[in-house]
Amino acid sequence: MATVTLSRLVKRYPDKTGGGVTVVQGIDLEIRDREFMVLVGPSGCGKSTTLRMVAGLEEISGGTILIDGRVVNDVPPKDRDIAMVFQNYALYPHMSVYENMAFGLRLRKFPQDEIDRRVREASAMLGLDPYLERKPKALSGGQRQRVAVGRAIVRKPKVFLFDEPLSNLDAKMRVSTRAEIARLHARLAATMIYVTHDQVEAMTMGDRICVMKDGRIMQVDAPLGLYNHPDNVFVAGFIGSPSMNFFKGRLRKPAGPGPLLEFVEANDKAEPARFMLDARLSALGASHVDKDVIFGIRPEDVLDAGADSPTPPGRSIEVAVDVTEPMGAETYLYLNTGATSFIARVRPTDRFQPGQAVRVSFKMESAHLFDAVSEQVLR
Amino acid sequence: MKITRVLMFAVLAAYLLWVVYPMVWVAYSSLKDDEAIFREAFALPAWDGLRTENYARAWKEARFGEYIFNSVWITAVSVSLIVLLGAMAAYALARFYHPLGRGVFWLFLSGLMIPVQLSIVPLFFELKALGLLNSRLGLILVYTANGLPFAIFILAGFFKSLPRSLYEAAVVDGCSEASAFWRVMLPLARPGLVTVAIFQFIGVWKEYFFAFMLTSGEAGEAVRTLPLGLANLSITSQYRSDYGMLFAGLVIVTVPILVVFVALQKQLVKGVTAGALKG
Ligand SMILES: Nc1ncnc2c1ncn2[C@@H]1O[C@H](COP(=O)(O)OP(=O)(O)OP(=O)(O)O)[C@@H](O)[C@H]1O
Ligand SMILES: [Mg+2]
Repeated sequence: MATVTLSRLVKRYPDKTGGGVTVVQGIDLEIRDREFMVLVGPSGCGKSTTLRMVAGLEEISGGTILIDGRVVNDVPPKDRDIAMVFQNYALYPHMSVYENMAFGLRLRKFPQDEIDRRVREASAMLGLDPYLERKPKALSGGQRQRVAVGRAIVRKPKVFLFDEPLSNLDAKMRVSTRAEIARLHARLAATMIYVTHDQVEAMTMGDRICVMKDGRIMQVDAPLGLYNHPDNVFVAGFIGSPSMNFFKGRLRKPAGPGPLLEFVEANDKAEPARFMLDARLSALGASHVDKDVIFGIRPEDVLDAGADSPTPPGRSIEVAVDVTEPMGAETYLYLNTGATSFIARVRPTDRFQPGQAVRVSFKMESAHLFDAVSEQVLR
Repeated sequence: MKITRVLMFAVLAAYLLWVVYPMVWVAYSSLKDDEAIFREAFALPAWDGLRTENYARAWKEARFGEYIFNSVWITAVSVSLIVLLGAMAAYALARFYHPLGRGVFWLFLSGLMIPVQLSIVPLFFELKALGLLNSRLGLILVYTANGLPFAIFILAGFFKSLPRSLYEAAVVDGCSEASAFWRVMLPLARPGLVTVAIFQFIGVWKEYFFAFMLTSGEAGEAVRTLPLGLANLSITSQYRSDYGMLFAGLVIVTVPILVVFVALQKQLVKGVTAGALKG
């Protein structure tokens, strides 16, 4: 169907000072044919603005957008062959469900029997048959959402755009609709761009995810690529729940032979936590000896040193338990070293008490080192 | 609780009677002759002596047949123009940014604040220069210009209250600016359009001042509207003592307003409250 290419894309809004605020700062992104691309990032990072520029609802301040190889900067929305599902659905209140879906086809002068065929096909696919004659205000939130999706799919556009289409649904609906949209993508084999601020949605739906912050792209990769190989502290902390733990500190070359480096936590309150890195991390950190770094470790990679296989000396640290949060299938332990608070995901059978001191070690194969200044991963 | 309900009911019933009775009285008096009106002013007309010819005479003698044609024609065209042009102007002012937009809006609003009677002298000469005195078109233009500020004020509020995403959905669906207006935004402003239409209908239908000032003599006779005819009738009927015909004329003037109001009442209430909440 279609690729969408953003190059050096800029959006600037005028402001009182006259200089303007730049909310999209020259991003480059290629969305492949039939790809499900998720734009994710914290509130205000410019995801919606980017999507709306693709739709043609916002003027482009700089750069170009290509859809299917054609520059569309000055093409009005109706001629871009796109469809959009809005956060508030934006169904036409004065039209029935049927007419809402048929509207775009009528504008394009499709013959009546073709309109009818497509609307009925979409309505069957989305389970909307009983509601075709109703007005939107007589529908539940989930049904409205499906009408909005139906209105998009009857047109068979080159590109589907979604702006947080699930955020007005309750938690259960959100999970089932998530799966439905993913199935829809597989079935329609269309290019889709999906905006959300929810990293779980991003992880579960995207072929690839584009993580944005302050109008810039932080990283673009497949879900597990982002999870396992974050480029920077922001992506590492944004993807995953609970998020990755970060320790600020320095790398030190201990006395004696051996290539291994030691991490020493920055801690001016108590005896700093210190532990040995493995060979891989030591090699990555070789350029940063005696420099400030950030050590990142996911909660599931924090291990109970007592329970698991005996830890080599210097590989574990002693920390205090602040809070325990039993989640059922697992328990979150809120720990601290005195300077750093962090979380461990442990088996629910483990018995820990607040205030108790425990020894933990880290699964070094899955740990990350970041430069403390640039916040980029060391590699 | 119960007592207050009963009291309230009684008060409202009394008020209803107070308002409705005069109309009912006029309506049945229009079927009596003068003698019967003066003998027993409040009595119902006798069944066998219904004076329906009062209507026939009002229609023919007092020329209400011609006046009603003028009134319907002038009102229909004026109200349509007010609603149409008002909606287009209000939409443009509400939805698009233009450096002069606010100024234009206030200019329109000033039309609501200045009594139009003040403008009658220049208006008269202008219409005279244009050769539009004693013409339906002249009255239509005056009524349209006069009604636009109100229409724009009400409808701009309506268009502002419609979510922007509806417009966006329309253009993504394939609408041009024009078709987004005609096919999505305008239908959604229907309660506002109805409100404007009713108020303007009543205003134009019973308008006397401009109609009186801008028509005169034999030439004006052909474009006279019902209010002028009614005023004429009320003056002459005092000398000729023909109250039956006067009442018949009153009924002819009033019934269309009642019909329109009753037919559109639901929409009107919707429009007025929506405007009040959002405006
Ligand atoms: N019309 C405007 N004028 C000035 N600034 C604007 C305008 N519209 C949006 N912005 C700013 O642009 C930035 C990006 O907005 P955008 O709506 O793209 O964020 P987002 O990533 O979609 O966030 P959210 O998750 O909250 O929807 C925000 O800081 C916002 O304040
Ligand atoms: Mg947004």
